[in-house]
Parts: sequence; structure tokens; C-alpha cells
Amino acid sequence: MDYTLSTVAPIVLIPFFAFVLNAFIVKKFTKLAVAISTGAIFVSFLFALRIFMDFMNVYSVGYYIHKTFTWFDLSAGSHVFKVNMGIYIDNMTAVMLLMVTGAATLIHVFSTWYMHDDPRFGRFFVYLSLFTSAMLGLVLSDNLLSVFIFWELMGFCSYSLIGFYYEKEGAGNASMKAFMTTRVGDVFFLLGILALWSVVGNVTFVDIYKAIGAGAFNNLYALGIPLATFAGVSVFLGTMGKSAQVPLQVWLPDAMWGPTPCSALIHAATMVAAGVYLSLRMYPLMELGHMLPFIAVIGGITAFGAATIALVQTDIKAVLAYSTISQLGYMVIGIGVGSYNASFMHLITHAVFKACLFLSAGSVIHSIHCQEMPQMGGLRKKLPYTFFAMLLCCFAIAGVPFFSGFVSKDRILGDALVLALTNANHIYKLVALLGFGGAFLTAFYMFRMLFLTFFGEPRDHHIYDHAHDEHLGWNSNVPLLILSLFTLGLFYSGSFTGQGEVNLFGSKNEWFSTLIHKPDATSLHHFSEYKAEEFGSVDTRDKVQLTPAVYDENHGMSEHVAHEIHQIHHIGAILSIIIAFCGIFLAYSMYIKKSVNPGWWTSTFANWTKALKNKYYFDDLYVGKIIQKGLLPFNDLLSRFDMGFFDKYAIDGWASVNRWAFTISKWFDNTIIDSGMVDGTGASVRMMNVVLRTVQSGKIQMYFIVIVVVLAGYVWTLSF
Amino acid sequence: MINLGSYLAISFALFVCGILVMIARKNIIAMLLGIELILNASALNFAAYTKFTNNNLDGHIVSLFIIVIAAAEAAVGLGIVIRFFQLRESIHIDDAATLQN
Repeated sequence: MDYTLSTVAPIVLIPFFAFVLNAFIVKKFTKLAVAISTGAIFVSFLFALRIFMDFMNVYSVGYYIHKTFTWFDLSAGSHVFKVNMGIYIDNMTAVMLLMVTGAATLIHVFSTWYMHDDPRFGRFFVYLSLFTSAMLGLVLSDNLLSVFIFWELMGFCSYSLIGFYYEKEGAGNASMKAFMTTRVGDVFFLLGILALWSVVGNVTFVDIYKAIGAGAFNNLYALGIPLATFAGVSVFLGTMGKSAQVPLQVWLPDAMWGPTPCSALIHAATMVAAGVYLSLRMYPLMELGHMLPFIAVIGGITAFGAATIALVQTDIKAVLAYSTISQLGYMVIGIGVGSYNASFMHLITHAVFKACLFLSAGSVIHSIHCQEMPQMGGLRKKLPYTFFAMLLCCFAIAGVPFFSGFVSKDRILGDALVLALTNANHIYKLVALLGFGGAFLTAFYMFRMLFLTFFGEPRDHHIYDHAHDEHLGWNSNVPLLILSLFTLGLFYSGSFTGQGEVNLFGSKNEWFSTLIHKPDATSLHHFSEYKAEEFGSVDTRDKVQLTPAVYDENHGMSEHVAHEIHQIHHIGAILSIIIAFCGIFLAYSMYIKKSVNPGWWTSTFANWTKALKNKYYFDDLYVGKIIQKGLLPFNDLLSRFDMGFFDKYAIDGWASVNRWAFTISKWFDNTIIDSGMVDGTGASVRMMNVVLRTVQSGKIQMYFIVIVVVLAGYVWTLSF
Repeated sequence: MINLGSYLAISFALFVCGILVMIARKNIIAMLLGIELILNASALNFAAYTKFTNNNLDGHIVSLFIIVIAAAEAAVGLGIVIRFFQLRESIHIDDAATLQN
């Protein structure tokens, strides 16, 4: 297949044009606007599917398409300043595109059911279209600058979607909180982009890889720390904002103020995935900056801390929100322990099951009009399809074997365990401990949610009796069932166990680990051959024969090391299976068998529970300490400077200068221009008028004398 | 011998008389008479030049035309004078200066 503007750009442009068009017609033709948005994202999905099929056909690590065009060129003489924009599709992009468009399509379809009673039904789809197109643009970007543009666009969309019910005060505050918190990270991200620009000369991914491979960052320092670390930390702070890592995680739980399908989009396919995606793209920089342990610790704290908060939440969406933070923590652990491939796989698998979980929660909320789990219970008879979808997703997120979450999370935890046991840096022991502890808590709180919602006796009969029985509907629960199908691990690993023992896809077994190539220090030399092509040029890539990738069981390591690592992985796998079932069993005995009393735990660890209910006081810290004690006094100081100095001297001084200038100008205008020139013109014309008027006397004989005199004078001159 | 100069002298005298009448008299009808004198001076000029320079009838024909034109002019001019008199009850030329002011 050839990659031209017309085969790639529509992925982004069709949802974007749907947004532009719908923004105008949505008030009058709401139904049409909804249809256009949903159709647009589905067409995008078909384009993405085409790219994905191509990627599976080529089946090579070296698969890439890089097309650029000059955005603007400010070169002057020898000083080159040229900014290119373009698309970069490699294996990762192809998978990502399919996930984003696929999940977004199902979320759009579900929203047509979930939102159809809402007075702003159409407007919701306008935002969804823009949101999705921004995410797709980010995934297709070939450089950090356009990533940043789409990144900010998504920040805006999340702001409008979280504050969608703007008549509620909480929603308005939550949207501002999300926007401002992610903005903290964005500022650093921009700083990181500038730092990279100063070294590389542009910010194209491939050029950054080439520069890192060529050692361009050696012996460069910024503010006394190595430039690679400086840029890496800055970029990673952007990830921390967007992907809700500690300490910038506070916005994500509040994001559930938005409509549930938008939570599904934010938590699964778009917003938070963008942060991890960026860090994965910048993995060589993180590695070069020696910041992997730092990243791993941040991820570990996030994964465990968010999981503990999720234990005490009673709102069904809050549980899911904290589980998102926790799972994002696992992805970041994956980056930190060098488990690039598994981290990306967890991004994809998490997107699928989290989208499904949020849509299921939406289905529950829509049918009982209540979000509090203590008022639910026994809903499995009323909502059988939702229950089925949610059950599969809970298996997946808890890490039960044969489900997608197990395949990806187990590999992250396995790699963390390997580093904990073999690496000299003891911090990895902490990371592994936090990871496994978080996995236990994940299994527990997810099944706590499932049991409280769907099992047992109805705790609030009024709500239960008013719930409608669920019927199979193409836009109400079919999207959930489709998503829940893809929680099966075999789609990602090609085998049931994730270890390649049951061969399902033939030679394309383990396609995920085979094709997603980790750009670490040893393999960066690949990128020196990568060439960007101009948009519209003849595609030469069809003629290049790429060698098909083959699954390497040792992952490029020597057999001895690989064997050792495999053994640790086996231990890790067994450990995580045991842990998952322990968590599920604990939830079962607490909430179904009731042999363990949860009240005992909350009363015994009362302080701990209180801290959890207050989300570890992060909000209090930010609002009470940092904002009220730190930022507001500083704000006052600035305002005093503004009023007392800037306003008084600069603004007022400038005003009086202007007043003087005005006086002079007024005098000049009155005297010279008005009296002299304008009135002078009039006066001179009037004077001419007096002269001419006497000549034109109306006395014919006078005219006649003039005629005769002139004629005589003429004749007289002729005589010479 | 009556030569060209004599004709031209009479013509010039007629012309000057006409001009003087035009300038000096305030009576509109007298001014029209002055115009007649000027026209006759020019007609005499044409006839004289034809007689003394070449022997065709061009000048005579032009003279006849001038006589016809003079008659027409007199008719139109007198018509104007009558209307003017009806309007102002005067045939004084200074009464015809009212377009100004």
C-alpha cells in the first residue's frame, strides 16, 4: 500500500472536519451531527485498520513510514531555522492507531445511547470528535512540536468534557483543576522540547534517536546536570501531568465529573495514554539520562498509592478512576524497568478493558441513576450483559491468566522482579514490592466493586425496583461486549499463556513482542538509515524488501542470561497468579461470604482509612498549603507590585506623557491644521471668488469689449 | 479706379461702426442693428475678395448666405427682444444683467 496524503491524513482530518462541520450545524441538526461524528470516527477506524493490516503483512521490525513537509522556513544565510511537520508510522503507531480509533468508535456508538436524553447531546459529540482527532494527530506526529500542539488540544478538550455539565459547580472546578494540573507538566514538557531543540536542531523523533546514537548529548550540561537528564526529566514531567503520576495525579479522580463515556475516552484511548506514549517514544532519552530508576519509583508509588485509595472509594466511577491511575503507574514502572514492549502492551490492553469498564459503569449508572456502590447490589439479574462484560474486564485488570491484563502486567512485574533480584540498585526491590502489592490490591478492589454492584441482595430496594431490565441493543451493550471480547489475552500474545506454549497464530505468534522494537542504546544505529520522504513524492518504500521478523525467545540475550531471566519470569508469573487469586478470594470472603468483616479493618486502621478517604491529603496540601500559603501570598505580592509600581509609574506615567503629547498635538491641530490649512484653503478660495465675481458682471457689452480687445491683440500679434 | 483697398476701407469702416454701436448703445434693438452692420462688413469683404483674386462665385454665394443668416438672426433677435420686453417692460441692455446676483 502506498502512503500519501490521501491515505494517511484522513485518519486525523475526517474527525477534525466532522468537528468543524458539527460545530456549526449541531444546534439545528443534532441527530445529523451525531451521525456525522460517529461515521467520521468509523471511517478513521477503517483507514487505521488498513494501516494495521499492512503492518501485519510486512511483519518486520524495520517497518516505518516517515513523510514530512516544510511547515515554515526562516533560514537566513548560513543560519538554518526550518520547521518540518509530518507523519511517522512505525509498528507502535500502527497498533496505537487501531486501538484509539477502535475504542473511540465504540465509545461514540455507546454515547449515542447514553447521552441521548441530554439537552447538550450534540455538543458532546462535537467535543468527542475534536478529542479523538487530536489524539490521532498526536499518535501520527513525527516530531515533538506537533505532539505538543495536539497535546494542548487534548488538554482543552478534556477541560470542556470534564466541565460538560457546567451548571454544576463541582464540574466547573474539576475541569479547571484538570487543566491547571496538566499545565504544570506541559510547561516542563515545552522546556524539554526546547532543550532537545538546542542539541538536535529539530525535534523529529528519528533525528533525536540519531543524535542520541551519535552521542550528541555527551558532555553537555544544563544548570549543572547532564542535558539528557534535564530534557528527560522535563519531558517525563509532561507525562506525569498527562498520565496522572504522583504528585500530579490529583486531576484524574475529579475528571469523573464529566459524562461517563468521556471518562472512558479520557481514561482509555486518549488523554492518559498520550503521556505514556510520549515517554515510550522518548525512551532512549530516559535511558541516556540515567533516570529509569526515578521513573520506576514514581510509577511504583503511583501504582500502589492509587490502589490503596481505591480500596475505600464508594463511588463506582471513583474506583475506576483510581484503578486508572494505578494501571498507569504500572506502565510507568514498565518504562522504568526497561520493559518497553510490555509497557506499551499494557497501554493497549488497559485502554481496551478500561474503556469497557467505564462503559459498563455508564450502563449501570444509566439504568439505576445512582453511582454509590452501597446502594447497589444484586444487579446481575437486571443487567446480565453489562455484568458479563464487567466480569471479563475485572478478570483482565486483576491479572487472571488467559486475560489481557495478565499477559501485559505479568511481564512488567516479571521484569521488575528480574531487576530487583539482579540489579545492584536496591531501589528496584522497592519497585517490585510496590508492583506486586499493587497487583494484590487491584484484584481486591476490582472484585470488591464487582461484588458490591452485581452480587448479593439489593441494598436499596427502591433503586433496584426502578432499574430497567437490560435488553441487547446495538448501541447500549453491544459495544461493551465487543470490547470485553478483546480482553482475552490471545489477541495480544497469540497464545493463551503469553509464553508461546500454545501456538495459535502460526508464525505470527507473539507478534506484539516481536514487532514492537525497543529503541535502546544497542539498537539506535537502525535509525541512521531512516529517511524522511516529502509528502507527494513517489513512494519508494514498496520496493524495499524488509526482512520479516522472527520471534526470538531469548530477546537478543545470551542463552544463559535468557534462561536465568526466564526462570525469574516464571517465579514472577506464579507469584502474580497467586496474588491475583488471593485478592479475589479476600474480596469474596469480605463481600459475599462475609467471613471477614471490612468494618474491623477500617476501625483498626482508622487513621490510615482517614488518610485514604482524604486521598492522602494531596488536595489539602495543594489547596491549603501550596496555593493558599505559597501561591496566594506570592500573588498578593505580585499584585502589589503591579498596582503600586507598574500601574502607578509605568501606566500612569505613560498616561501623563500621553496627555502632554496630546496637548501639543491638539494645539498643532487647532492652529496649524485647522486654522491655517483647512480654513486657509477656504479663505483663499473666497478671495479668488471675489475677484472672479466682478469679472463675470453679466454686462454683455463688457464681455464684447473684452472679446474685441483680445481679438485685436491677436491680430496685432499676427502682424509681426 | 476702384481697387480692393477701397472696398476693404469701406468694409472696415462698416465693421468699426458696428462694433461701436454694439459697445456704446444701451438699446438692444440698436445693438442688433450693430450686428447687422458687422455682418454686412464681412459680406462686403467676401464679395470684394472674390472680385479681385479669382473669378468664381464662392464669395458671392457666401455673401448671399450671410444675408439670409442676417435675416434669420434679426427675426430671432427681435423675438428675444419682444419676450424680454414682456418680462421687464424695458429694452435697456443693463436690465439683462440679472443672471448675476
